[in-house]
This record gives sequence, C-alpha cells and structure tokens, in this order.
Amino acid sequence: MELARFVRQIRRELDGWRLASLGWAAVLLLPFLFIFSAWFRKPNEQWLQIRAYLLKDYVTGTVQLTVLTGLLAAFLGVSLAWLVAAHDFPLRRFFRWALLLPLAIPPYIAAYTYSNMLSYTGVVQKTLRDLGVEVSPKWLAFGSVRGALFSFVLFLYPYVYLIARAFMERQCASWVESARLLGARPLAVFWRVALPMARPAVAGGVALVVYEVLGDYGVTSYFGIRTLTTGIFQTWFGMYDVESAMRLASWLMVAVVGLFVLERWLRRGRLYHVSGRPRPMAPVRLRGGAAAAAFAFCFVVFALGFLIPVVQLIAWASLAFEDVWKPAFWRWTLNTVAVATLAAFAVTAISLVVANVCRRRTALNQLLARWVTAGYAMPGAVIAIGILAVFIELDGVLAPLYAAMGWGDRPLVLSTSVAMLVLGYVIRFTATGYNPVEAGYENIGTRFSESARLLGHGRTRTFFRVEMPLLRGSVAVGFLLTFVEICKELPLALLLRPFNFETLATQTYRYAKDEQIILAAFPSLLVIAVSLLSVAVLHMAERRA
Amino acid sequence: MGFVEIRDLTFAYDRRQPPVIEGFSLSLEKGEILGILGPSGSGKSTLLRVIAGLEVPAAGTIVIAGKRVVDGGTFVPPEKRGVGMVFQDYALFPHLTVEQNVGFGLHRLPRKERRERVGRVLELVRMTGFERRYPHELSGGQQQRVALARALAPNPDVLLMDEPFSNLDADLRVSIRDELAAILRQAGVTCLFVTHDREDVEAVCDRYIVMEADATSSD
Repeated sequence: MELARFVRQIRRELDGWRLASLGWAAVLLLPFLFIFSAWFRKPNEQWLQIRAYLLKDYVTGTVQLTVLTGLLAAFLGVSLAWLVAAHDFPLRRFFRWALLLPLAIPPYIAAYTYSNMLSYTGVVQKTLRDLGVEVSPKWLAFGSVRGALFSFVLFLYPYVYLIARAFMERQCASWVESARLLGARPLAVFWRVALPMARPAVAGGVALVVYEVLGDYGVTSYFGIRTLTTGIFQTWFGMYDVESAMRLASWLMVAVVGLFVLERWLRRGRLYHVSGRPRPMAPVRLRGGAAAAAFAFCFVVFALGFLIPVVQLIAWASLAFEDVWKPAFWRWTLNTVAVATLAAFAVTAISLVVANVCRRRTALNQLLARWVTAGYAMPGAVIAIGILAVFIELDGVLAPLYAAMGWGDRPLVLSTSVAMLVLGYVIRFTATGYNPVEAGYENIGTRFSESARLLGHGRTRTFFRVEMPLLRGSVAVGFLLTFVEICKELPLALLLRPFNFETLATQTYRYAKDEQIILAAFPSLLVIAVSLLSVAVLHMAERRA
Repeated sequence: MGFVEIRDLTFAYDRRQPPVIEGFSLSLEKGEILGILGPSGSGKSTLLRVIAGLEVPAAGTIVIAGKRVVDGGTFVPPEKRGVGMVFQDYALFPHLTVEQNVGFGLHRLPRKERRERVGRVLELVRMTGFERRYPHELSGGQQQRVALARALAPNPDVLLMDEPFSNLDADLRVSIRDELAAILRQAGVTCLFVTHDREDVEAVCDRYIVMEADATSSD
C-alpha cells in the first residue's frame, strides 16, 4: 500500500516539466563542481607562485574595492532615494527617473571616458590651461583605486537607489507620517524610521552592486588593480593555466556564497509589509536654500553619472564616425545581436518551464528556483572558468568520436565554439529573465490553469493555449532585460568567445585598452543606447506595479 | 453503489497540520443535485478541489461514473476525470471570446460539431448572440452563465460549483438562482453545489448535507 502510494506520488510529480527543470539544475551544477574539483588535485608550480606572491594582493584588492564601493553606493543611493521619496524640490519628478540613467553606462565605459577626459590632453586639463588656471595634476589623477571607486559608485548606485526609493515610496508612508506627527525632526525620521525599515531593501540593492564589483574585469583591468577576477584572467590568458584559474575561481565563489548568506541574514525576517493597501508618501516641500541644495545634489550626480560622459562620447564619436563605420562594425553588431538573442531565448524558455514547476511552493521547488537563478551573483569569470573546464574535459571525452568523424586527432570542437559563450550568458542571466516570468505567473494565479485542466487539456496544452498568451507581457519584459544585459556584458565575452569573435562590448574594450579612445566612443554609445531600453522597461514596470 | 462514491476521504494541506477533511464519505445518484452547506473553513471548497483532482488526498477513494479516480495507488489527473467545475470567480479566459471559452473543452470534436455544441449550450444558458464578446465586456451574471456553459459543454459526468453566487449582488442573486436551478434540471447533470447560504440550497438542490467547521481546523 505504501509502495503503491509512493509510485502514485512519483508518477504524478515527475512529468516532463519537472524532469526538464531538474535536468537543467543538474547541468548547472557541473561547472561549479568542476571548479571545486581543483581542490583535490595536487597544486602545480604556478599555483604555489600565485599563492606566495599574488594571492594576498588579489584578496586585499577585492575586499577593499567591494567594501568601499558597497558603503559609498549605499550612502549615495539611500540619500538620493530619501531625498526623492520624501521631499519636493525643483525638477524632482525629472530626477526621480533621471537618477536611474547612470545604470545605462557600463562602468568600464565610464572609466575610460573619465580617465581620458582628465588626462593631459583631455578636455578638462586643456580648458584649464586655456583659462590659465593651474591645478596640480595630483588633483586630477584619475587612476587606480580612486578611479575605480568613482566608476563603480557613480554608475552602480542606481541599484540601491531604485530598490530603496520604491520601498520608501510605497511602504513607509504611514510610519513616516506617524513619526512626523509625533514631532520627530526630519533627520530623526530618516535615521530612526525610514532607514531601519528600508534596511532589507538597501541590503538587496547593495548586494547587487557588490556582485557587479566582484565580477568586474573592465574597470579593474583598465586601472591595473589586482583582484581575484583580474587574477583569473591573468592565469588563463597569461599562463593558460586552467587549474590555477579554477583555484582562484573557487575562492571567489566562496566569497560570493558568503556574501549571499550575509545578505539573506541581513534581510532575515525583516520584510515589513503595510497591512492594507500601501499608499504613497506625502512629500515635504523644501524651500529656499534647502531646495537649492537638494536640486544641486541631484543635478551633480546626474551630470557626472550621465550627462557629461554621454556628451563627451558623442563629441568623440562625431570625430571618428567615418573610421568606425566599416563592414567589421556590422559583423560585431551582428555577433552581439545573434548571441544575445539566442541566449535570451534560452533564458526565457528555461524561466517559463522552471517557474511553471515552482508555482507549487514546496521546499524543494523553492530551492530549485534559487539554484537556477543563482548565477546572477556569480562573477562572470567564475562561470567562465567552470564552463571552460567542463568543455575542455568534454572535448577530451569526445575525442574518439571526433577522430571517427575524420576531424583529426584530439581537435577542440566544443571548447572553441560559440556554444560556450551562450551557455555562460544563460547561466549568468537566468535570474534577469526568471523574475519577470515568475511575477507574471503569480499575477495570473492558478485559476485559469486549473480551469483548462478541468476542461480536458493536459499540462503542456494548458501552457500553450492559456498560460503563454496571458504571460506575453512578462515574457517580453524578461526577454528584453536579458538581451540588454548580455549586450553590456564583458568578462564572460572576453573569456569564452571563440578566437576572432568580437562583440560590441569586447571591441569597445579593446579600443579603450589600446588608447584608441575616439574609436571606442561610437560602439560605447550603441551599448548605452541599448541599455537605456532596459532602464526604460524597469521604470515602466515600476510605475505599473 | 452511487454514481459518485466517496469513501473515508482525508485531506491535509500540510502533514504537520490537522486534516481539513477527515473520514468523509458521500454517495450521489445520477442526475442528483446535492448541496454542501457549511461555514467558511469547513473544508467544503477543498472537498471540491479533491474531487476535481486539483489536490491529492492523504487517504480515501473516489469513484466517478464507475471509474476509480483516486485510491491508494491511483491518481487520475484532472483532465481525464470528466469533471466540470464552475469557480467562484468564474476564471473565464480573458484572452478568448465567449465562443472560444465555451469551445475550449471541446478540442476533441471536429470544428463543425464543436460549433453546434457551443451554440446549444449558449442557448441553454440564454447567452446566444454574445459569441464574439470578451469576458470583460460581460456583466457578472452573464460571466457566470458563460462559465456554466463552458463547464457543461464537454458533458461532464459531474459538475462542481463553488459558491457560484458569491460574486453577485443580492438582487441578481435571487433571479439567477432560479434560472440556474432550471438550467441544471434541463441539462440533467449530476451536480455538487457548495455554498454557505441556506437559501441557495433550498432553491437549487434536491438534498443537502452540512459540513461543520472542524474544531481542529486552523481557519
């Protein structure tokens, strides 16, 4: 009887949908298992050298950058969020969304833009010289940690700003107003009510910033900072030593998992919800000097984070339009669009299947959903090294097959194909597509699906005839966001692209790295234009919610 | 043995919590309309979901039209049970017209027969002429009749109705109730009808049972 019941359970639970989800989850496990397998091998000579001379630099560089960026981005994001959410000042409605725009500029593009603007031949020093003003070059030095911090904080803070502002605007109103009625002074309202309540939201935003910094290669390598990620690149491109790269990746992964746990812990049981319908907060009108200061603060951040770099890039691009506009440019664009479309399509399909299975909120399903989307926290370099290791191993296993096909002895087929890059993108960006799809499923509820089942349609037919048409909007949002993220992505593309396969991002990076800044401007603008799309989508999604 | 036979049914949403339904048995004749009356939390909606196959019971057997749909080793999925259901909020597909909604369960019929069948049930619920409308263009009472038509169209062995009047205002409720009773009799369908309103039961049902709010149940 018990056995019969068990068999009944299995037959009901294990349909194609669940099998597909579990299968994908297993595939995801492979690269990470491979990375940790490095721990059980005998360390080679290079690793001993890295450990002796470089590891300490890598770790301190990583820790320094993430901690400082995290703190500064939290400060900037939260103060702007509080200013916009709870106050009224000139152009507030404009700044409310304009302060999101820096997110459209990838930090590596910002880094080389600013560092060239501030160089001896750049627009700033030139203007100063023309004006006859002498400023010590020390003040204008835009390098190393200072430049990296500037590029990260000013172009990543919108993650914190967006989440904190949305939370403050929607959830805090009644508490903030009570505090005001009880006579608390404005600063006290912020420190004692709004900030503690928004802490889970802020932690979520800061975590996103920190994951970006941990995964960054463009900014840190441009400024020559040693971090675990740049270390992975150096061991792979400098010494072609996958094993040591895997060891470094495993340490980076341990750091990320630690952060992930820390973030969960900071958010534990602290999700405040207003009973009843949340309502917007009535903003306090600022006057005189306070209003001017608020305006100035927002304007400076907006100018530095969007206006100035974009104007500068347009100016550069107009100088070199003829040189960039050549057939190769079309090929890079086509490469980018093709790879991004393919990967975004796969992400959407995976999201639809897994989110469908996970509508029943059992513990196992929650774990499955977490696991499938965990890639967003993983640095691109870690994912890339994991995939490289797996594909090189696979090529070894398949060598007899290749030989039988007459492709020669031990050729590298899989590990030189574009499949690696697509898989990397899919692992990294599943969360970007998954979250809107999951929200879409939640939105339509289970009633329609249950009706369809009772009218004689199986799970798959129900999906195509009922769920899919109702999910159209969410699917489109998920697809678009994923597409944009992939267009911007750099570290995965650099590590996993086949030989001579350039995307807009890698080509931009190459130009910038070779100090061909003027040539880099046009593709940069293209990347920014595509990214603006996702900022617009985020803004609209928030308005509808 | 009845047309619908439920024996010793036990159901719990969570193994750690006391069951919502415990040791429940019921027998229903063909063509009978049975009311299930009870306050909220008595597990009456859950009972319908278990019969429909949307939930899996911990124990017990259910037989519908001579076919065992649930016992210790059997679980027939909802799409193969021959059960129709009218949900509390109707759950009409918003992206389909009235005609497409009603024809949704008739996918195995050839196009021509499907058309005829849809026309016939729409006539039965007096909604002829609304074929091309979308659900949001209908009033609450009209939506309810379309939902009923959709559930009746595939000729289910048993029709389940979960608080079908709860979304209608009081005036409409009385007139629709009588209409529904007439439609159900005309269709000659076996029906389980869940409500918390005694008047509903008296107007529509042949007989009724009462499910008590269980002292051990949580809500």
